This record gives sequence, C-alpha cells and structure tokens, in this order.
Amino acid sequence: MARSATFLPSHPAENRPKHSKISCARDRCRQADYKNVNRLQKRHDGGVRFRAELGWPMGQLSDHNPQMLRSRSSRDLLLGACSALLAANVLVASELPDVLITRQLAARASLNVGDVVTLATDPDGRRAARFHVAGIYEPTPDPMRFTAARLEARMHLADLVRLTAADDDPGAEESVGAINVRLVDPADADQFRVDVRTRLPGVTAAPTARAPDNDPFGVLDRFHVAISIVTVLGGTAFLLALMVIRAEERRDIIGLLRLIGISRRSLLAAVLAEGLLIAALGAAFGVVIALAGQGIVNRIFQARYDTALVFVRVTRSIALRSIAVAVPLGVVAGLAASWTVLRRDVLSLFRR
Amino acid sequence: MTSFALAWRTVLRYRVRSALAAAGVAIIGALLFDMLLLARGLVDSFADLLNSSGFDVRVVAHEGLPVLREPVADASRVAADLRGLAEVEDVALVRLVDAVIVGAQEDLRNVTVIGTIRSGTRSAWKLLKGTDLGAGAAQSERCPLIVGRRLAEVRGIAPGHTVNLRITPHRTASALPLVACRVVGVGDFAFATANEFAVATTMAALEAADTTRPPDQADLVLVTSRPEAGGAAAARAIGHLHPELHAYSNEDVVAQFNQHGFAYFRQVSIVLTSVTLVFAFLLVGTLLTVSTNQRLGEIAALRALGLRRSRVAAMLLWESAVLVGSGGLLALPLGGLLAYGLDHVLRQMPGLPERLHFFVFNVSAVVQHGLLLSATAVVAAVYPIWLSARLPIAETLRREVVG
Repeated sequence: MARSATFLPSHPAENRPKHSKISCARDRCRQADYKNVNRLQKRHDGGVRFRAELGWPMGQLSDHNPQMLRSRSSRDLLLGACSALLAANVLVASELPDVLITRQLAARASLNVGDVVTLATDPDGRRAARFHVAGIYEPTPDPMRFTAARLEARMHLADLVRLTAADDDPGAEESVGAINVRLVDPADADQFRVDVRTRLPGVTAAPTARAPDNDPFGVLDRFHVAISIVTVLGGTAFLLALMVIRAEERRDIIGLLRLIGISRRSLLAAVLAEGLLIAALGAAFGVVIALAGQGIVNRIFQARYDTALVFVRVTRSIALRSIAVAVPLGVVAGLAASWTVLRRDVLSLFRR
Repeated sequence: MTSFALAWRTVLRYRVRSALAAAGVAIIGALLFDMLLLARGLVDSFADLLNSSGFDVRVVAHEGLPVLREPVADASRVAADLRGLAEVEDVALVRLVDAVIVGAQEDLRNVTVIGTIRSGTRSAWKLLKGTDLGAGAAQSERCPLIVGRRLAEVRGIAPGHTVNLRITPHRTASALPLVACRVVGVGDFAFATANEFAVATTMAALEAADTTRPPDQADLVLVTSRPEAGGAAAARAIGHLHPELHAYSNEDVVAQFNQHGFAYFRQVSIVLTSVTLVFAFLLVGTLLTVSTNQRLGEIAALRALGLRRSRVAAMLLWESAVLVGSGGLLALPLGGLLAYGLDHVLRQMPGLPERLHFFVFNVSAVVQHGLLLSATAVVAAVYPIWLSARLPIAETLRREVVG
C-alpha cells in the first residue's frame, strides 16, 4: 500500500516548477508534509553527496527516524572527491552555516563537530563556501547500495541553493528536484497521480511503494525460501538415517517390551512423545544458534561494509515458522524409523 | 580383505541408512555446488554478455557504469576522434530513450528504443528474421525498426508491419507526435530485461523522433579495440585524448560490477558455502560416530582377529569416503537441476538483462566441490577413527557378550 507519492523532476532548467506555486491536488495531501521540500543536485560519483531540505530543523536531521528520512531525498549533489575541499579549522565557526556530515565522511576526512569545512561544487575549487560541522550522523542504511561509501552531508536548502544555483538559470533558486508528499489516505495514490498529471502538466507523480512484481527483495525472499527448502530436505534425509540407526539400536529393548505385553500402539505413542520432546528441544536449540549467529553475521558484514544495515534478523515469525517445520519433521522421521522395527514380528526382533 | 572391501560390505549391510546418508550428502552437496557456481556465475555471465556484443570499451560522459547519467555531446566529433586512435578499430554511438507503442489494444509501455549508427555483426541484437538496419530496403526507410523477439510475439509483429511509437523522455510528461516506423527485422536483444520491450532504429531516425534533446548526442560510445592493443590500452588512449570522458574496458566494467552490483550474491555464496560445509561435516560425522558406536563389538572382534589399528582406521575412512563420494557424485546432476530452478527464481529480479544468469557451469566449481567434500569426508571420519583406535579390545568384547 502506497504511503505517499513523489513528484519527480521533469523539466528542463528554464521551466522547472516553482515549489511555491504547487498546491495540493484536491486536498489529498497535507500541507505540512508538502512543505518538506528537498533540494538535491547530482554531480560526480566518488565524492560527497549533499542533501538540503526545508521544513526540518537541523536538530532533527541527526536522528534516524526512518519515516522522516523517507520523505527526503530527491536530487543529489555528488561532488567529486577532488572538488570537495575539506579544510578543517576552528575559526569563526559560529557565523558560518551549519552542515551535518555522515560518520563515514567524518572518519575519512578526520572531521569533528565544530570543525569548519570548505565545500566546492567545481573540481577546481570555484564556487566554494565554508560550513560549520554542527553534527555527525549515521546515514539510514540502504540495502540497495550498502556497498557504496556513504560520504554525505546535509545542509539547509537555502545554503545549498547559494552554493549550487547556476548563474544562467534564473529559476534555480525557486526550483526543487522533487517533492515528497504524504497523502491523507494512502489508498488515493493512484488518483492523486492522475490529479497531478491533469493539474500540473509536465510534472509526474509516482508512488514510493514498489509494485510486488518489481520488488528485488521479493525475489530474494523467494530465493531464500528455496534454499531453506533444500536445506530442510537434506536435513530430513540425515535425520531419517540417524533415526534408523537409533531404532536398530533399540531393537532388543523393543522386543522385550513387546514380549511382556506392551502393545505396538503404546510403544508408538511412547516414540511419538519422545520424538516430540526431542524435536521441540532441537528446534529451540536451532533458534538459539540462529539468534547467536545473527549477531556474528551482522557484525562481520557491518564491519566489512561500514554500514548500520542489519543483514540477518531472526524475527518471532521466522523462529515460529522454523519450529513449525522442524518439529513435525522430527516427529515424523522418528515415527517412520521406529515403525520399521515395530512392525516386525517379536521373534525376528531377537534375530530368531 | 582390503579396508575398502570391508567398508563396502558395511555399507551394503546397512543399506537403508547408507542410502539415506548418501541422499542427505547429495542434497547438501547440491546446495554446496550451487553456491560455488553462484560465487562466480553472475560475473562470468555478465562478462560473457559484454564480450558477446563485440565491443570491449564503453565511453560515457560521467563516472560510473552501467548507470547512464549525462549524454556525450558532439558525439560525431568524438567518434571521429576515437576512430583516429591507433588502438581503436571501430566506434559505435548509442542513444537510449523510453517510448510507448500505441496500438489498437492497450498501449505498451516499458519500451526502450536504441538509436545507433551500428548494425550487423557488432550490434546489441542478433537478427532472427528480416533484414538489418543498414541493409536492403531498410536503407530507404525514414524510421526502420528492429523489434525484440518478445515484443514481436506479444504484438504479433513481423517484418513489413508498421509500429506507431511515441517517445517519452525520462521523467518528462511530453506530447511528442507519434512516429510510424516500419519493422525491417526481428532480433534478440542482448541487454533487454525480462519486463522490457526493446526496439532499435537508426540514430538519425531517433534524433528526428526525439526533439526534446539536442541532436548529435550519444548516451554511450561503444569502441572495439584492435586485437594487438586490447581494451585496457584503448581505454587509456581514449582517456588521454578526451579527459572529460570516461572510458571503461570490459574488464573494468566487470570489476565494478563484481565490487558493487554482485557483492550481495558473493556474500550469500560465501555464507551458505560455509554453513553447508559445517552442516555436511556435522551430519556425516554424527552418522559415522553413531554407526561406529553401534559396531564397537564388531570392530573389537576384528581387532582381536589381528586387524591392525591402521586397517580399521582405513576402513572407517573408506566408509566416510563411500558415503560422501557417492552423495557428492549424485550432487552434481542434482545441483544442476537445483541451479536451473534457483536461476529461474533469481532472474525474476527486475531490471536484469534476460540473458544474464546467476548460475554458470565452470570446471573450477566442480574441482572445488570435490576438494571441499573430500576434506569433509576426512574430517568427519576423524572422531570415529579416534574412537576405534583407543578401543579396549578385551573389555569391549566382554561387555558385548555380557550385554
């Protein structure tokens, strides 16, 4: 279900929409959310990515509220590594505009809160401005680009406009790359898109939610389910083999119990109860191993890619699903293996 | 009787458990084999796809491939400059744009139009039917079109038909007029994704149809290097001649892809290979240990008859080898089938070229598979061997008889 719709840039520079003139279509979007306009421009890869926004106090930008972050980005400014002239000093910091930088950028450029940095949009250092590092933040993990170095900075929109607006583009100071909109009723996303297209020719709107058939994570989910099924099949074969050995070991005892008059049904019930207990314990142990393993896997990959992204998470639903598969399988394997012994004639159990 | 013969008799004596153990190894081994294929499959397949196009250097206006961000301006001059380089044999300009095919039925979206100055052997498509862009009657057409196989099937298009295209520049609501293009051929597009309809026309036709962009722009410049120079040298030469452009040899593109685009699957492959090996070791080890414990009396009797420790150890090692070996051999065809299924699942990933595969057979994966399973068989047999080696013969036989 779409939660919001995003305006995407669709105009050449000379006739970009002015955000101040865009109104909500048929009152479907909240004015307050509309004000959260982003301005981002894109340049080279491998440099520092800058984001600027209206509507969020800078203090809020440093937290990791995913909902807030979702309503931000639009166009990116990527400055080449050589064009990002990061010159730290400690002078006149209070009079300079603030900038927030990612933990990764702070580490790469040896920056701390309170430092002054010079940022330029041109590789040769022209169009430069100095900023005061007001904070360091952990960027919201993005599974689509977890291998990319997150060298990013966030600043107020007005500061970015001053830094980047092209002299020959009179509309640059009034234009935005995208507008993120939170709808009053998310179910209106399609109608809202039609309204925007009708009322603002040249502006396109797209829901932020992915269609199920266009979701790479849905595909990965199916892949992991397939792997799980194969693993369960392999495990079942081994389990059956072990159970067969175990049943063979107990052949004499089963023969004795049958001789003293205990029925096959009672023995089967005992095997069932025993199997249930062992399978439940085994499944619970498996969940404990998974819980311990997730920490190790996450730590290894978070360190490897310098990200806060969680790679493995054992949720309650996954744990319950694993138990729901493992316990019946264990019980059935135990019963099947025991039945090969129980169904035999008593004398044959004593090799007679 | 040799140790192998003894082991073989044991395996035959306990047929059910041996068959189940081999089946378990086969399934786990199949997964292991697939993970080894996955470790290189996508990269190999991508490299194969790139190389099959006949071009070994890609030139773009901005850093980073395969994302195209900004077009190369004054493309004809750039192409002429590149043709003048000693390292360069051939140059092709490519322009890409989205379009809608208007029809009596529902309009077809997800249409990518490739405009190129190149056709024939070195092109992004393999001609299946009709003639190529630069051949025969196509030369006189204002907008000749090669349509992708899938589009031809969906719309029942054949050479000679007319297709009405409307160019829809990316992220722009445009009202460009319809362009009637004559289909001259049907082709298989190498880089077309499963949910994309690809068509190709001449650069001139595309420039005439898409008036939102200035003429003489190319999104991509494809270069074939001279065999004696190679792609890397050609890319360097292009970089020197046009420092504002970025030239990537196929090896560079594959390396970038391997580092960024493929990282997830490489990690999945490493994690699952490790887990599968540990799983196989634990299961085979447990099975052999339980089996050995059950046969302690038998082993003690063999020792009492004069069999040396080393022969008993060799027998257990052979048992492990037979179980893991037979399962490992079965794992190869089973892994092939499983890879086919998993590949089908993963290829539903949006935006991937249809010809890209995640699992690609390679001999090194078979060799690695064999080595890893052999190591598993040896390690899994260590504890049972240790158990049998320190077995007190008299005590075990007495316990067996009294028991």
